[in-house]
Amino acid sequence: MHVGRLIELDLDSDGQDAKAQVEQMCERLLANPLIESYEVQPAPGEAS
Amino acid sequence: MARVGVVVFPGSCDEADALGAANRTPGLSAEYLWHGDAGLNGVEAVVIPGGFSYGDYLRPGAIARFSPVMDAVAAFAREGGPVLGICNGFQVLCEAGLLPGALLPNAGLRFVCRQVPLTVERSDTQWTAACEPGEKLSIPVKHSVGRYFAPPQMLDELEAQGQVVLRYGAGGNPNGSLRDIAGVVNEQGNVLGLMPHPEHAVDPLEGSEDGAKLFASVARHLEAVPA
Repeated sequence: MHVGRLIELDLDSDGQDAKAQVEQMCERLLANPLIESYEVQPAPGEAS
Repeated sequence: MARVGVVVFPGSCDEADALGAANRTPGLSAEYLWHGDAGLNGVEAVVIPGGFSYGDYLRPGAIARFSPVMDAVAAFAREGGPVLGICNGFQVLCEAGLLPGALLPNAGLRFVCRQVPLTVERSDTQWTAACEPGEKLSIPVKHSVGRYFAPPQMLDELEAQGQVVLRYGAGGNPNGSLRDIAGVVNEQGNVLGLMPHPEHAVDPLEGSEDGAKLFASVARHLEAVPA
């Protein structure tokens, strides 16, 4: 069984900046790396 | 009188008992500290009480660690100031990186509220100095997320460095905590986190006064160390 959560983020930045920002958010807040794993996926075609 | 600060977050619920437990301890005088304050108002010890800080959204303690007062608590802890985290306070200290490990949902997946037997593994810390080595205490737990977890290597390090201060007694592990760990200290030995609630065991009417020993311990420590 797997229980998780999906978090959608809208960012002003994109590319590597966005990736770095999201990684930092995951490490510091969104996940506790000691007990949780996470995966980051850019949403295609959502840029506005 | 040594001054003790009890941190209050939105969603804290055991701050009154923590304040009361400290105030009835000879040599201690307690006051509240607000989560939005950037300082500790000059207190000489800090208690982070139980409850559901910021609604425990995301994970217990995950949001509270970013409150302004926690920067001050972290600086205070680094300087060797005594910090006690009880239940949600323990979770906050783990999330803040001030204590090793994490708390997971209870093994039985149910809220547990009962008296548990504890063994004092170390009686030379600021928070346990009034206990005898190996002393048995009876203190209540009340939580859903109290199963202490750390990777095996980290657990071995904690044991080797004497950072396991309190363990659930034989058959008394209420939540599936690894190695029956009920309370741990940081490497310096000044920050203690535990799931049981010593502030709820300070009066004969509560069935046990064993929790008072933790507050008596810090009073003794602060008396010995000039402010």
